[in-house]
Amino acid sequence: MAAPDIFYIEDNEDFIDVVERAISQIDNKTIMQTIDDGALALTTLNSLAENRVKPRLILIDLNLPGLSGLDLLKRIKENQALRYVPTVMFSTSDNPKDIKTSLEFGANAYVTKPMGYNNLIKCLSAVHEFWLNTTCLAS
Amino acid sequence: MIDYKVDLTNCDREPIHIPGKVQSHGFLVAFDSTDVVSYVSENVLQYLNVKAQDVLGKTVAEFEPLLQHAETPGFINHILQLGHHSKGSETINHYTIDLREKSFNMIFSKSGKHALLEFEPNTSANDVDLQKTIGRSVSEMLSGKQLNELLDNAALQIKSLIGYDRIMIYKFLDGGHGEVIAEVKEDHLEPFLGLHYPASDIPKQARELYKVNLTRIITDVNTDASPILTLGTNGEAEPLDLTHSELRAVSPIHIQYLKNMGVASSFSISLLYKDELWGLIACHNYTPRFINFKAREASKLIGQIISSALEYKQDEENVVKSLNYNVAYDSLSLILRNGGNVAYAISGHDTTLLDITDATGAAVIYEDKVTMLGKTPGKEQIEELVNWLIDHMEDRIFYTHQLPEIYQPAQAYSELASGVMVCTLSKEMGEFLIWFKPEQIATINWAGNPDKPVEVDNNGLANLSPRTSFEVWSQTVKNTSARWNREEISNVLRLREEVVYAINRQANEIRTLNEKLKQAYEELDTFSFTISHDLRTPLSTIKNYSELLLESNTSLDEDARRILKKVIGGADKLNYLIKEVLNYSRVGRTEVIYTEIPMESLIHELKNDLTVAFNTHDLQFEVDNTPAVYGDKTMVSQVFANVINNAIKYSSKSNPPKVKIDGRETNSEVIYTISDNGVGIDLNYYDRIFDLFKRMDNVRKYEGTGVGLAIVKRIIEKHNARIWVESELGVGTVFYIAFKRNM
Repeated sequence: MAAPDIFYIEDNEDFIDVVERAISQIDNKTIMQTIDDGALALTTLNSLAENRVKPRLILIDLNLPGLSGLDLLKRIKENQALRYVPTVMFSTSDNPKDIKTSLEFGANAYVTKPMGYNNLIKCLSAVHEFWLNTTCLAS
Repeated sequence: MIDYKVDLTNCDREPIHIPGKVQSHGFLVAFDSTDVVSYVSENVLQYLNVKAQDVLGKTVAEFEPLLQHAETPGFINHILQLGHHSKGSETINHYTIDLREKSFNMIFSKSGKHALLEFEPNTSANDVDLQKTIGRSVSEMLSGKQLNELLDNAALQIKSLIGYDRIMIYKFLDGGHGEVIAEVKEDHLEPFLGLHYPASDIPKQARELYKVNLTRIITDVNTDASPILTLGTNGEAEPLDLTHSELRAVSPIHIQYLKNMGVASSFSISLLYKDELWGLIACHNYTPRFINFKAREASKLIGQIISSALEYKQDEENVVKSLNYNVAYDSLSLILRNGGNVAYAISGHDTTLLDITDATGAAVIYEDKVTMLGKTPGKEQIEELVNWLIDHMEDRIFYTHQLPEIYQPAQAYSELASGVMVCTLSKEMGEFLIWFKPEQIATINWAGNPDKPVEVDNNGLANLSPRTSFEVWSQTVKNTSARWNREEISNVLRLREEVVYAINRQANEIRTLNEKLKQAYEELDTFSFTISHDLRTPLSTIKNYSELLLESNTSLDEDARRILKKVIGGADKLNYLIKEVLNYSRVGRTEVIYTEIPMESLIHELKNDLTVAFNTHDLQFEVDNTPAVYGDKTMVSQVFANVINNAIKYSSKSNPPKVKIDGRETNSEVIYTISDNGVGIDLNYYDRIFDLFKRMDNVRKYEGTGVGLAIVKRIIEKHNARIWVESELGVGTVFYIAFKRNM
């Protein structure tokens, strides 16, 4: 069982579609897996970790069914195997409170979802460039 | 004679009704239950030429012949038997009989187990047609519509009926003292009308006797009374109760009192109001005078008629007053129940709180406002009084008819408010209702010094006598109003209940409304937050796919591309609007975190961001003083961003656009002015520019949502700060923002 490059938890299928299109436009070799439920995402991540594979980047939306984005983040950061996987919160909200809480829970970054496809390309390019091509991962 | 211990309170102690003597113008014989003579007055000798000792112990049959009368033999026995079996003596009295060829009136009365027969001369001098006279007198008297007219008439009629030198109607006032309220007299006599007599002049037990004996005659103060003799049993003489005796001798002190006044003979008729002694018709003669039993009975009848007229007139006056009070109370109560401001409800209509009492002024102290009605002290004086009341009032009601005596500052306005009645609405909040009564009696003219009712003779206490001086002794009674009567007090208490009820109901209504408002506000905030958030997602989809279509689909023609761009433009506008609404609702949901904000850097950053956004190269942006502001940094930044944004935006078409920011400090505030040379705001819209979604007609061509200034206003309110604007169309606008300084 191989791990994706990007593990994306998002429940809005339109947005998943747009993000998938954007990622493949940015780099069609990047493998992205999307899960639309917080609880399911956690079990998937755990089973990946059991197989000693990890995604290179986790993107989490704040509002999720099953388990909220923040709770999911918390569980990931509490998990020895997953805690060093870069986890970026990806939400429509620009509420300072959400940003602050996310960072307190150990998010590696907080990115506000941009408006429009063009802005999304710009935004995801930067994310992709930084987390997948620039930083070093803990082994 | 019993050796009385005489002191200043002597009058109150002397056992008047058992004096053991009778006035000497008649004689008394008493029979015990076995119809044996048990008591007889010593002067029987003068009338019957038989010694008292010889009469005592005689049976009725033995006694009767001594009378030398012309009646049927055995008639005394007949009367005694009648007396034994009848309750009162009215049906028996009186008998006119001739004793030793002189006409006498024989009067029967009871004294315990004894039957009294009193014989007094029947003088025919004023034996007029009493029935006719009384009939005329009564109709004359009752023709008076007012109480005082009635009493004046009564005095006049009594005078013509019995012919004393002076007839006075004397009214008992509070505390037992009395006042002459009507008088008819011989011309040469000094008037006593209006004079006051101290309570000790007519002692308490005398006042009680006046309720039993409705008339009382003292024929001649200068003749000695005749002792009543009795056969003692075991050396003890049982005193004879003379309560119902006509001849009862007068107390030596009262005799002296009359002598001191120069009165030789007096006659009095009791006036009762609801079984209490209301007053007396006091008749004085300066020479000895005796009037017939018949004339006395006629006078008694007049007294009774006046008494019932008193009840009627007084009741009538009370009923009218009481009715008016009740009408006023009902009206106030109705107004109060209709709601509205409580103070206005009881003071602002035709009927006011004044109408439930006899007060001439009133004040309502409610919600830090003093509402005054009628004749009252000044506002400051009332406020001082309220402070005093807060400290001294213990109950929910307080009233006095002598305020200046207990509260010194009231002396300054005693003529307006010697009497006050106060009830609390809320003592803690200093809320009261106050009624005022004016100073009433300026002068009391006492007949002699009321503080020295009795004077001590040089010979010592034994010769203690009533005062000899009846010269008018004027006492100025200040700082006193009419008293508050029971009905006024109960009306005030009733009104208080109504007012307190109204206040509580309103307080509850306001509290409930407040809760609802708060809830609605919170709901609105939640609603606007949720809806903005939820709107953004589909909006994002619209924009994303429109752009995606534009990006990836090369087969689209120019027109389709233009249309898609319009869709994207609309989505952008909507997105911006949603963001602003979100910001607006967020202000309501966020706590203010106060810090000292360095304004120079804040303004600088804003300037950079905004000038880039507007891309106005020729903008003249001037920043003068930038004193620090105490507030929430994010929010204050939003305020300045919005106002400066507006300044730049609306002056962008001026040549060149000028924006100037300056701050200054006052004692309590930091005031910033943000001025521009832009399009300006129409004067009529000054108060509406802060409304949500409100945009002025002259700025249609400028981008905007109408949310910015609403956010500003909300933040300003959250900071307890102030914002206002000066502007002229086509000239420019100045916004003033004043933040409270950090104290």
